[in-house]
Amino acid sequence: MNFFRSKKLFVILIGFIVLVVLIGYSLNSRGHLNFAEKIVSDAVGWVQNIAQAPVTFVTDIASNVSDFKTTYEENQVLREQLSQQKSMVYDLQKLEDENEELRSIIDMTETARDYEPIYATVIARSPEQWVDQVTINRGESDGVQENMVVRTAEGMIGKVLRTSKGTSTVQLLTGFDEFNRVSATVLREDDSDIFGMIEGFDEETEMLLFRIIEESEADIEEGDTVYSSELGGEFPAGITIGEVKEVVADQYGLTRIAMVEPAADLFDIRNVIVVNRSIDQPEDEEEGDDES
Amino acid sequence: MTRRVIFPLILFAVMVLSGVALELLPHQLLMGTYMIVPHWLFVILIYIAIFYDRNDTYYAVLYALIFGLLFDIVYTGVLGVYMFSYALVIYIVRGLKKMLQGNFYVLLMLSAFGIAIADISIYAIFTVIGFTDMPIEVYLLNRLIPTILMNLLFLVLIYPFIIKPMRKWGTELT
Repeated sequence: MNFFRSKKLFVILIGFIVLVVLIGYSLNSRGHLNFAEKIVSDAVGWVQNIAQAPVTFVTDIASNVSDFKTTYEENQVLREQLSQQKSMVYDLQKLEDENEELRSIIDMTETARDYEPIYATVIARSPEQWVDQVTINRGESDGVQENMVVRTAEGMIGKVLRTSKGTSTVQLLTGFDEFNRVSATVLREDDSDIFGMIEGFDEETEMLLFRIIEESEADIEEGDTVYSSELGGEFPAGITIGEVKEVVADQYGLTRIAMVEPAADLFDIRNVIVVNRSIDQPEDEEEGDDES
Repeated sequence: MTRRVIFPLILFAVMVLSGVALELLPHQLLMGTYMIVPHWLFVILIYIAIFYDRNDTYYAVLYALIFGLLFDIVYTGVLGVYMFSYALVIYIVRGLKKMLQGNFYVLLMLSAFGIAIADISIYAIFTVIGFTDMPIEVYLLNRLIPTILMNLLFLVLIYPFIIKPMRKWGTELT
């Protein structure tokens, strides 16, 4: 009997060691799936793709019904907005033409604002809500790579964390921390833009934390819109992240943090766009310059 | 032959569905203060441990190891967390079962106990590796209790469908 007791303890201890090794391994190789993991993700993704179809059907009917109720009010508001937009379209068209003309003069055809979209559908959300990840039905074979931005029509929702052949996992903005940051900016006239990082999510207020790194003369204000910035090197510029609601000092009083309300609904996500920044990475750009 | 295949199939289906199912729940649930984690895989494993496994078989523990690992790969990206928690707790439940009779109330009691221990173990590991910094009292109130209740609800809902075939397969196993 005694022998068996110690044997059980031994097995549990070995299990514990295996656990520590596995966790260490997966935290080190964060973002890169190994061969076996990719196969499993693909197999599960394939089944989820099928299972998700009837689920989507049911939830779509439910959301359609609730949409009907608000249609009239929405129509009124949108009409008003439309009349305002009409005059802006004209201005925008003119500016775009002018911009293109000027760019062709200086031989610069690509900007960090351009991107190629990959359309995808969310097929699952991680049941473990601490990791804040969703799975989408596009993967490496569709051109999705790690660290690409994922957005909805409203704004940014996160970035691609892991990819397999046919699926990829998206880290939502709500799960961002010191290791998963997005460089962001608030536009100001006269080159005095405010730069910073989105580096966390406050569960209580449901707001993103935007740490302001470089402060310009102009102070950040409530209602300012925060966009992604090209300075991070990975993301295209100009994707809406959210709106500033409040500015507070950080815990050391050295920098300030703006509380940003996400533009996209981070909990009700169905159709997303994976954004492939079409401009090359800086190293490639320099090579291109040398050749020309 | 069918018995060999049917449990892995059920467990795989439940694992896949628990990811899709969160889309079905109203989104206020996700946004609200309460965090509900569907441990459906674990509930099925408890059924297997109590009604299927004999004293000398370890199917439930084996399945807990395999499907816990798959769950980790697909949903969290941190290997071993669910695998270890599920397997350890199923092993404990399997030990406790020997002293008790396999009826509904025992199932309910052991499940509540098992889900609690498994979720606390997951919380402990995630806290250590820095995935969450939820204070313990918030965790107990906002996550542990709603999670136990919702999973017990799932357990009771599937009871009429699963209990007869499970008992039958259990007696065939010799």
